[in-house]
Amino acid sequence: MKLYKTIFIITTAIVFAACTPKFNEPDLSTGSINASDYLAIGGSMTAGYSDGALYDEGQRNSYTNLLATQLRNLGVGATIFKIPYAQSSIGMGNANNARSILGNRTDCQNVVSLGPVKIASQGDITIFSNNVYNSQGPFHNFGVPDLKSIEIDINGYSNPFYQRMASSGTSSVLNDAISRNPTFFSVNLGLHDVLKYALKGGASDNITPVSGAIGVGFEASINNVIEKLTANGAKGVIANIPSIKSMAYFNTIAWNALKLDSLTAANLNLYYGALSAPFSFSVGNNGFIIQDTSQFLGFRQAQEDEFILLNVPLDSVKCYKWGSLIPIPDRYVLTASEINNIENAINDYNTVLKNIAETKGLAYVDVHSLFNKVKNGFIYNGVTINASFVSGGFYSLDGLNLTPRGNAFLANEFIKSINNKYQSTIPELDAMKYPGVIFP
Amino acid sequence: MNYLYKLFLIVFFYIPTSYFSQGFQVNLQGQKQQGMGGAGTAFMQDASSLFFNPGGACFVNENSINLGITPTIARGAYMDATTNQVSHTNSPVSTPFTAYALFQLKDSSNLKFGLAVYTPFGSTVQWEDNWTGRFALTRLELRAIFIQPTVSYKITKKIGIGAGFVYANGKVNLQKDIPLNDAYGNYAHAELNGKANGFGFNAGIYFQPIEKLSIGLTYRSKVNMEVKDGDATFTVPESVANNFPSGKFTSKLPLPSVTTLGLAYKINNKLDVALDINYVGWKAYDTLSFDYENNTEKLLDTKSARMYKNTFAFRGGAQYKINTNFTARLGLAYGITPVQNGYVTPETPDANRVNYTCGIGYQFGKHLKIDASFLFTHLERTDTNLETNLSGTFKTNVCAPGISIGYKF
Repeated sequence: MKLYKTIFIITTAIVFAACTPKFNEPDLSTGSINASDYLAIGGSMTAGYSDGALYDEGQRNSYTNLLATQLRNLGVGATIFKIPYAQSSIGMGNANNARSILGNRTDCQNVVSLGPVKIASQGDITIFSNNVYNSQGPFHNFGVPDLKSIEIDINGYSNPFYQRMASSGTSSVLNDAISRNPTFFSVNLGLHDVLKYALKGGASDNITPVSGAIGVGFEASINNVIEKLTANGAKGVIANIPSIKSMAYFNTIAWNALKLDSLTAANLNLYYGALSAPFSFSVGNNGFIIQDTSQFLGFRQAQEDEFILLNVPLDSVKCYKWGSLIPIPDRYVLTASEINNIENAINDYNTVLKNIAETKGLAYVDVHSLFNKVKNGFIYNGVTINASFVSGGFYSLDGLNLTPRGNAFLANEFIKSINNKYQSTIPELDAMKYPGVIFP
Repeated sequence: MNYLYKLFLIVFFYIPTSYFSQGFQVNLQGQKQQGMGGAGTAFMQDASSLFFNPGGACFVNENSINLGITPTIARGAYMDATTNQVSHTNSPVSTPFTAYALFQLKDSSNLKFGLAVYTPFGSTVQWEDNWTGRFALTRLELRAIFIQPTVSYKITKKIGIGAGFVYANGKVNLQKDIPLNDAYGNYAHAELNGKANGFGFNAGIYFQPIEKLSIGLTYRSKVNMEVKDGDATFTVPESVANNFPSGKFTSKLPLPSVTTLGLAYKINNKLDVALDINYVGWKAYDTLSFDYENNTEKLLDTKSARMYKNTFAFRGGAQYKINTNFTARLGLAYGITPVQNGYVTPETPDANRVNYTCGIGYQFGKHLKIDASFLFTHLERTDTNLETNLSGTFKTNVCAPGISIGYKF
């Protein structure tokens, strides 16, 4: 019986092997890329900032590291893509906060719901207190959270995310990058030139103007970066900037999410009627009351296509009359004219970026289109991907930066553009091998 | 008896599931016919005629029992068009089987009775862990056993008619991943498991205008397999468990009608040739839907377009009697896929196909006969699915060696 069994197993194994279909090895071409020294320049996304903080897992899954891995697998990339790891799973955000995870939180009405909660009460301060240049550098990833195009050539740039990886106290991001003498680069700059303003509801900070000298205007600053990077004949890829309208951060809380019953609506009408306010309330959804100093009363009702930011304190809205009796402060609101200014700037930046890519013969990644595609939703290998906060799979828990899966989609856009420009055949990533938001 | 018992064990050890052949149709209902490309509607061989043409069974002049099995090894692979990643199937060996009993009340009577048990539809596909298409499918097991009591009547010396009632019993088990990550890096998972049954018939006419030529026409009806009270089980992270309540589901799967015209010609005493043309009513399979008893915002009923089209298959083969004991067979079949471009799925990565078959038979004395056959086919299809956007190339190789034992008395 044992002999029969052995014979049976061996025959089955042979038939199985003979029966297995084979695929020819795909024709992998490196085209005209030499990425033996690939270097990435950019802001938060380039750094792998995610879930509101810089932390190892996010950095490891940055689109730049994913791209570097695919280049290496193809045999044209450097064996090491050095990243200034935070060496922390708690992370550090730009408000000295820890990273967010999905968890249960109890609101002012004692309702428990699933949402982002900080993994610790504050960020890991060792991330800012240690300079890791000597222990981990020199680096290939010059993604610096919050980096604006006009800040990249500032010597002694004070951003603590740069200070922790700077080669010296007087160096600039650009000089550190140029001194690495890259053969291939990716540049993803410009988003923070509008985003800092947008995240403050237009109440502070400024949109970087297109014109102006290096360190003042976007165009001169970007041209300076590209000129220096290509001075030795290096090739690369330039990304354009997504619309803020596509991002979860600005789309999660609807402008008209003030839901009223008949009694509350009547009371609000009584109150605002007494002030002769030019608006009224009805049962159901109503526009929030927002601060607007251009108005005679100093406030008004929000209109369609205006944004309430994701960081608005929800307890204040739910229990303390924000948005109804108390106008939501300006710093939590982007009005139509502010959005207009931001979008105009983005469009102008993108024209500049496209021009310089064409002039210098560099690949150009249309990140703007990718983010709009995500906003509209699409199906990838049987999975619906969209810009919904938490459930969409693309945006991390900060609503601005990406999950590992989102980074894989972004890396794939870079890969497509590089293949297109340099006749290479870098394979794309299976984005579903990278997680979205983790559910407890 | 000991060997019969072992055969029995083998059949039930390897759960009787089957490979996909033109959709999930399985054409392995007789070793002699399998050796001849699957043709047999006008060529009455033995008790397997109960399946191939109930109208011709009355021309098989014997009481007989025939048991057969075809362990089928189907190996599939998929190469993604954008990532170049290759995934394989680890599908278990499936074992379509047949059991036929044919008897007459008295010798050479015109009326015959029979019982046929066979597995004309089925599919077991198990994709490797973490494969690219896991949100479309990770595993599908479909099986259907048809039980067909049959009457066959010889009207004249040249014409016979016959019909059998079909009771079909089956099960379906479908699994896929859900795109929700838990803290351990796993995706959530859905498993739908249910029993199904349905009814139909198999009827045929057999006509032998001259001694050398015979013609057969059969119609095997559509069988609607209905799953009631299936169990849907969801393994999801605890925080979203309320969105995916495990519970009952209903579904149905049409097993299509098959109309066959067959011709057989006796070239001489040693050589026979046969040809079958199948017309398969796959159009019946236009939607795969699952209706969940407990719907939530995240768990909605699903309707997936399948849009199969009616299709043809051509099967031809020859049988050569080497001597009184030995018979050799050779055959070829060409099947047109019912699956349209844009609708290729990992459950049935179907394509037009050529089946290459051969077989031998050996007669032991007067009563016992053993037949064996071998089938090989290769499928290849490149497509982008309209529902899932899964884009790549599926390849499948099928090796199916089979054996049957016949006893007549």
